[in-house]
Amino acid sequence: MFFRVIDKERLPDLVTGLSTEYEVIAPVEKDGRFVYAPVVDPGDVRLDYDTTLLPPKKWFFPAEETLMRFRVADNEVLDDEVFAAPRVLFGLHPCDINALLLMDNVFTGRYADPYYMRRREQTLLIGVSCSPSDTCFCNVWDTNEVHWGFDVFLTDMGDRYFASCRTVKGAEILDRFVENRTVTDEDTREFQRVVHDFKDAFDRSVDTTQLPVLLDAKFDSPIWDEFGEKCLSCGACSMVCPTCYCFDVHDRLEPDQKSGVRVRTWDSCQFKEFAAVAHGQNFRDTRASRVKYRYYHKQWGYLSKFERVLCVGCGRCARACPAGINPVNVIEALQTGEVR
Amino acid sequence: MAPRVAIIGLASDFGCQVQVTNMEDHLLDVLGLMDLSYWQLASSGHLPDEYDVAVIEGAVTTADHAEALLKARETAAVVIAIGSCAITGGIPALAGTADYDARYGVVYGDGVAVARGRQLPAPVSSVIEVDYHVPGCPIDPAEFVTVLSRAIMGLKDDMPRDPMCAICKTQENVCFLDRGRACLGLVTRTGCTAKCVTLGRPCTGCRGISPEANIPAARLVYAEKGLDPLELDRLFDLYNAAREVVV
Ligand code: SF4
Ligand code: SF4
Ligand code: SF4
Ligand code: SF4
Repeated sequence: MFFRVIDKERLPDLVTGLSTEYEVIAPVEKDGRFVYAPVVDPGDVRLDYDTTLLPPKKWFFPAEETLMRFRVADNEVLDDEVFAAPRVLFGLHPCDINALLLMDNVFTGRYADPYYMRRREQTLLIGVSCSPSDTCFCNVWDTNEVHWGFDVFLTDMGDRYFASCRTVKGAEILDRFVENRTVTDEDTREFQRVVHDFKDAFDRSVDTTQLPVLLDAKFDSPIWDEFGEKCLSCGACSMVCPTCYCFDVHDRLEPDQKSGVRVRTWDSCQFKEFAAVAHGQNFRDTRASRVKYRYYHKQWGYLSKFERVLCVGCGRCARACPAGINPVNVIEALQTGEVR
Repeated sequence: MAPRVAIIGLASDFGCQVQVTNMEDHLLDVLGLMDLSYWQLASSGHLPDEYDVAVIEGAVTTADHAEALLKARETAAVVIAIGSCAITGGIPALAGTADYDARYGVVYGDGVAVARGRQLPAPVSSVIEVDYHVPGCPIDPAEFVTVLSRAIMGLKDDMPRDPMCAICKTQENVCFLDRGRACLGLVTRTGCTAKCVTLGRPCTGCRGISPEANIPAARLVYAEKGLDPLELDRLFDLYNAAREVVV
């Protein structure tokens, strides 16, 4: 890794410079909250954001995308090109970078997804340090630290940024687009201090000791029925989650019925049809079983395959769920036997 | 032979038919697929004796409507209900939320019969079986085209079932409930990309109640967000007075 220091005042130069060669996507304000959107004016970039409504996954795996066009008469594929413009995702928090690494396990592994891969290859990631909001619990999974998966990571040190360059490309863009200097001992000491302060700023702790054992022991717990009664089966939790990757695929015919498009959309395990199969069977027929398996998959199923839980503690589900169901209160309810 | 399609209008403001007539770009393609034997707004012809597809708009409010529907069901191989009036009773069904006869009297005068066998406005499904549905007030012409294509190809009705919030999240809207305002999206059938919320207005439930809706839980959410839980029930009256849930 290379390290550089950038004067805070100079940061807009980086955005402006990057904009000459890349589409720059960064957090901007929307109705009092924040969204990742293409930057029109570097002044719109809000690195003081708490979290975004949707996670960065939408830039790699959009909520709706066309996989291909086909001709009905002979079932020929007409067009399955994946178009991906060179992009920079600017301002990702550690949780969201970690979330992309979890997504990579699924989309770039054994059954590599060309659509996701192409966009991933074409996108540079620039992270930025944050401070925990009242819904953040990344400390619980150690996802408040990030060691790889970014090109540059900017740690806010008041009047300057400590820039960690993880890739050659990352070092290159810094040198090309923004005035910077090498790191002094004082910078490194300050960096250590800032990072420690960040870690100390978390006041939420959740006991995750032997979580898989807890889940298995509570498999038949009435707690799941209580959550089932509260859940609206609305799927909001899956949409806003940076680590939820399930999708549905539909074919849609054009009005002339001569050609059609194959479309992929985000799906949710909280929808009843998610587990419906031929013959009218549904192995997740009740809300309670659907909520339960959301958590079994995230905290146990994925863990058993990839040695990480499928959650980065970003807290988006805690903000989005109308019924107030989220990993923290699910784990606590299993431990205490009470839904709070 | 292209399927012969008849459009039959019951009690409604014809808004859905206007939507269909307005969809310039797709209309020609769809017209190529079908023979528009009877189109109440688009032509002045009379209902032919034979047709294959009956598209029904509007709620049932008279004995004549019920008879027309029975006739249509007998004649057509496929029946498509379009719009909230036809599917849930829609706005006409509001008439049933208080003393119907008294309301009728206020509008038309006591003992005046303006239509034979008037009845409480009801959805088409209260009289005949419906094969395909295009929900909404008014309908989205693109959805109409999709459903019509499915009907012509013999594919099953594929009306979305889940509540609206998921698609609303994909539009990155700030939830009305978090702004202290009631929204019916959490119990309303999805499929319109949460158009109203995206345009700055809470969902009023025009697509009908989602068969997966958890209404008791939604009342609790209202209470939790500082709203009157019964506000949910009051809001239902606009499009879902009959509490019809199409499964
Ligand atoms: S969850 Fe952690 S990494 Fe993400 S924004 Fe909150 S504090 Fe930062
Ligand atoms: S489960 Fe919730 S907290 Fe965990 S990553 Fe998903 S949205 Fe974030
Ligand atoms: S857990 Fe919450 S957000 Fe997820 S489907 Fe249930 S009510 Fe909706
Ligand atoms: S604004 Fe309405 S539709 Fe959107 S998430 Fe909130 S309740 Fe659901």
